[in-house]
Amino acid sequence: MIGIRIALAGNPNVGKTTLFNALTGSRQHVGNWPGVTVEKKTGRINRNGHTIEVIDLPGTYSLTAYSADEVVARDYILEEKPDVVVQVVDATHLERNLYLTTQITELEVPVVIALNMVDEAEATGCTIDRERLSSLLEIPVVRTVGTRGEGLDDLLDAAVREAKTSPHHEHIVGYGNEIEAMIASLVGVLAADKDLGDRYPLRWLAARLLEGDENALAKVKESPVSSRVQDILSGTDLDEYEAAMADRRYDVIAAVLPQVRTAGARSMNVSEMIDRVVTDRYLGIPIFLALMWGAFELTFVVAAPFVALIEAGLAWLSAAVAGWLGPAWLASLVGDGIIGGVGSVLVFVPNIFILFLFLSFLEDTGYLARAAFIMDRLMYAIGLPGKAFIPMLIGFGCNVPGIMAARTIEGEKDRLITILVNPFISCSARLPVYILFAGAFFGAAAGAVVFFLYVLGISTAIGSAKLFRHTILPGESSPFIMEMPPYRLPTVGTSLLHTWSRGAMYVRKAGTIILAGALVVWCLASFPFGVEYGSSESLAGSLGRLLEPLVAPLGFDWKIAVALLFGLVAKEVVVGSLGVLYGTGEEGDALSTALLADPGLSAATALALMVFVLLYAPCLATIATIRKEAGSWRWAGFSVAYGLVLAWTLSLIVGRIAPFFLGGA
Amino acid sequence: MTGAVCPLALLSAGTEATVADVRADRGMRLRLAGMGLCPEVWVRVQCADWGSLIVSVGDARYALSRGIAMKVLVREAA
Repeated sequence: MIGIRIALAGNPNVGKTTLFNALTGSRQHVGNWPGVTVEKKTGRINRNGHTIEVIDLPGTYSLTAYSADEVVARDYILEEKPDVVVQVVDATHLERNLYLTTQITELEVPVVIALNMVDEAEATGCTIDRERLSSLLEIPVVRTVGTRGEGLDDLLDAAVREAKTSPHHEHIVGYGNEIEAMIASLVGVLAADKDLGDRYPLRWLAARLLEGDENALAKVKESPVSSRVQDILSGTDLDEYEAAMADRRYDVIAAVLPQVRTAGARSMNVSEMIDRVVTDRYLGIPIFLALMWGAFELTFVVAAPFVALIEAGLAWLSAAVAGWLGPAWLASLVGDGIIGGVGSVLVFVPNIFILFLFLSFLEDTGYLARAAFIMDRLMYAIGLPGKAFIPMLIGFGCNVPGIMAARTIEGEKDRLITILVNPFISCSARLPVYILFAGAFFGAAAGAVVFFLYVLGISTAIGSAKLFRHTILPGESSPFIMEMPPYRLPTVGTSLLHTWSRGAMYVRKAGTIILAGALVVWCLASFPFGVEYGSSESLAGSLGRLLEPLVAPLGFDWKIAVALLFGLVAKEVVVGSLGVLYGTGEEGDALSTALLADPGLSAATALALMVFVLLYAPCLATIATIRKEAGSWRWAGFSVAYGLVLAWTLSLIVGRIAPFFLGGA
Repeated sequence: MTGAVCPLALLSAGTEATVADVRADRGMRLRLAGMGLCPEVWVRVQCADWGSLIVSVGDARYALSRGIAMKVLVREAA
């Protein structure tokens, strides 16, 4: 049982994760934009008596590692020394992909090339002589189509063979007389430090030092040979070497490619035509807003009949439960606690699925990267790179991956600001709250109200970013460059799969966290013994009245205070708690009916509440993610405090102004 | 091929040019080289949006913010 570790490396958006999923049977998130994977993922396979561990690394253009996700990839190859690196190469972008190959081979690890997306290259009439490429590069090259699972066996065979072959194949770029002489003298000096030689391939380290790579400089800084290295480097113009070395690498590639590739006819392709329209300087933003508007209308209109169906089902269930279950407390536990709490969240599953379908459409088609470009001007005005808009769009699904996606942002302050404003982007967990209240109090205008809330979330994020940029995190936004992937038409199957895997998480959450939250609230509403269920004499009532003074100016009563408190665990719990506290009753009335009947709630209060839920402290999972990504509790605490103050102030204002617009409703 | 040198950011949509020099800091220069944006490379501006651009470089297409596009010097094709 020999274990073999295979690391999947390569440029961003070449299909590493798709290949990883195909190899290991995992369901890691994939999308058609660069930077989907920001953390390494591990999977295992058993094959012919070998335990093979496959590690999916974030994409990187070079091993210089310019952003946080790229550092993960480089450090893994360098420090963990996998047995073989499978470089996934996009057959439609050979030059650039092979540039990375020249850098990986310098690390002296065995390399196998997975020539991926061959089908797309062939569709343009381009042919690639795989065997010739392999013999010229002296690296095994395997043809794969990750989306259809083609070439997986060959790839694994080649990887295992390469991992066990010693000495393995190598392809080292020669840099010409002058640079090679410098490399040789540097290697001579570096070799005196045994420790350094054990950890890093010295030729690689010497080459990086000549390129002036700061990370390489840091590695030799502590070494006893540091001063001698400095002596060699000080007399030279590193800028010149760096340019010359990049040239040599491209020269090597240019020598190989014409021998192996016959180019297809290049015409104005579909992607370029679509981009003419969607990235137009005047049409771009209106198209983006129209897409968003359409999406929120759809979440209401298409979901409505399904929501009604689930509501009817739950009503029948709670009525039936009331009949079957003997003791009144048990009927209350199941009826009010479980069906009232979890059911009121599950009702919105159709809306959530449609939202996820829309998000996966944005990601899988490649439009997401365009949205970042369109927003660049706006983002520039607030002092963030356009790229920072992507974590925001991801945040519409869930803020946790949204905050993680900020790793692709290069500047540290830019990344921190992007993290801190992400919680204001309305995640899917907040959607049930809007649908419940907007649906109950705003009728036909519900779609518009939800759209308003999303825009308010984006505006708050943008406004806060500007504020942070001018106060606590001053500086210029770092310039950005981002690849525009070709548009791809997602298949119905993959769209549904992506929607399902996220939607299933929502359902799972309903069965765990929200169930637990609902049960806690039910207990609080039922005890102490003898009080009327859900009355202000219950524990929930005492707790709520303790908090009530804090939210009373906003027009919220104790029930809402309790719901908001437990909503900190997860925002859906706001709906779940209200479901428990209002009780669905024997008649099985929908929660929206119960809310509408509450004299303490008006449309203006409902709007203020939605604004509050949108902006107040992030949920526990998000707080933990901020702590992890920003590296300190201080930022997580700041995020909570800032959110609470902002939510309180804005919902007070909204609650006071709204009646004038809503005709005193 | 001996046109004047100017920043990429100043080109309008549809223009073709070769990269003359990249005047960014070293880290950014190495990254750009990895993306195929280095001297002598042929680029085509596809979309120019007040400074930020989408350019074709070889088979790839990139969106660049004005900050970077000002640092990439190009020689416009005749």
